Amino acid sequence: MLVLAALTLVTIDARSHGNGVLGDVRQKVSDVFAPLQRATHAALEPVGNFFTGAAEYGSLRQENQRLRQQVAALEAQGATAADAEQRASQALAELNLPFASNIPTVLSPIIDQGSSNFDNSITIGRGTASGVAPGEPVVAAGGLVGSVLAASRDTATVRLLTDPSFAVGVSLQGGNVGSAAGTGPSQPLRVTVDTTQLPPPVEKPGSLVLTSGLQMEKFPPGIPVGRVAKSVTPPGGSEPDIEISPAVDPAGLFYVQVLLWSPA
Amino acid sequence: MSPHTKARLRIAALLVVAVLLQTTLASDLRVFGVAPDLMVLLSICAGMLGGPEAGAWVGFWSGLLMDMFLASTPVGLSALTYCLIGAAVGGLRSSVLADRRSLLPAAALVGTAAAVVLFVGAGDVLGQHQLIAAGRSWLIRVAVVEGMWNAVLALPAGYLYARAARGSVGVERLGVADAR
Repeated sequence: MLVLAALTLVTIDARSHGNGVLGDVRQKVSDVFAPLQRATHAALEPVGNFFTGAAEYGSLRQENQRLRQQVAALEAQGATAADAEQRASQALAELNLPFASNIPTVLSPIIDQGSSNFDNSITIGRGTASGVAPGEPVVAAGGLVGSVLAASRDTATVRLLTDPSFAVGVSLQGGNVGSAAGTGPSQPLRVTVDTTQLPPPVEKPGSLVLTSGLQMEKFPPGIPVGRVAKSVTPPGGSEPDIEISPAVDPAGLFYVQVLLWSPA
Repeated sequence: MSPHTKARLRIAALLVVAVLLQTTLASDLRVFGVAPDLMVLLSICAGMLGGPEAGAWVGFWSGLLMDMFLASTPVGLSALTYCLIGAAVGGLRSSVLADRRSLLPAAALVGTAAAVVLFVGAGDVLGQHQLIAAGRSWLIRVAVVEGMWNAVLALPAGYLYARAARGSVGVERLGVADAR
């Protein structure tokens, strides 16, 4: 009987694509649990941080050394930083880069880094009450994090760009455009080149890949998606196999920004 | 209020606390990128300590509660998986395994790995192909690491479940009535 009930629920929810009665129930439960989640997260954050630090002690030590060297180099450049910042602001103003322009944002704390090992998503502590809506892009300082999958009144679920069902249009070298899709947690994104009339793109490892923002795209243009990790043209193939490392690692984030933006 | 009703209320409270811990702390406890699954652990504890019926009921409700926080899979998939695992563990407990709490970590290890396989397999059959898109190596890693995590947490979880379930019919019948 319980198995039958579970199968019935799965069928109903799958057919309604999460937007039916069960979707509403999910949102209501999220709203009820949101303050409890925030309180529990705040209370247990030191425990989680302790464990994360202990588990990653070796890599943290290396990262610490690298950052010390970086700080030393930056201190040496301190005198030119102010000038560079001013130039960058002017350049951005002149180019009107959408990522740095006037899209309103909602700063959101991350209250759950992913409840399940098969759910490439995070939960943020802002929802429809703050203007967050499904489909809106989510970014951090380094670039694209994902997009809002579902939103209740006080929380929202963000699908990460590493999720296999996530895809984003990207601009490539030589005027080409493509589609970058997730392949799983901690895996690079795989790029499919969409343009066929132009010469294939020649991407150098390490080059930055941005969203294309073409018509009907779900993301505004110019948001960093990642850096090229690999670009190899297979024997006999015309288009290169391109993989990009995501620009942002959500595991290290405490806050994200939701762009209150929708396609025109 | 009867002892059975009190036991059910305590188990319900335990499930609520467990889902709060799962959705806040558990994601920080990742080893090789894999977090423990407290909800399936409680289903296994219910099966081992209360029998197949208890395992099925606790599995169904713990899975359903977990489904409320998973936006990528349909409501009912975790309920189906955990219900079957809880019932299977309880059935083995009644027929084959000895009445020893020391078997709980082993049951948690095997039961969790089976739950991972069942979740992905059932999900794939029901159209959730993104569950297998991450590849076989990720699935194996999740099954092994999650199983080991739950094996480590099995005895304290079993103790808490036994305390919550004292006075309920299934626990009494199998002679694990009170964890004093």
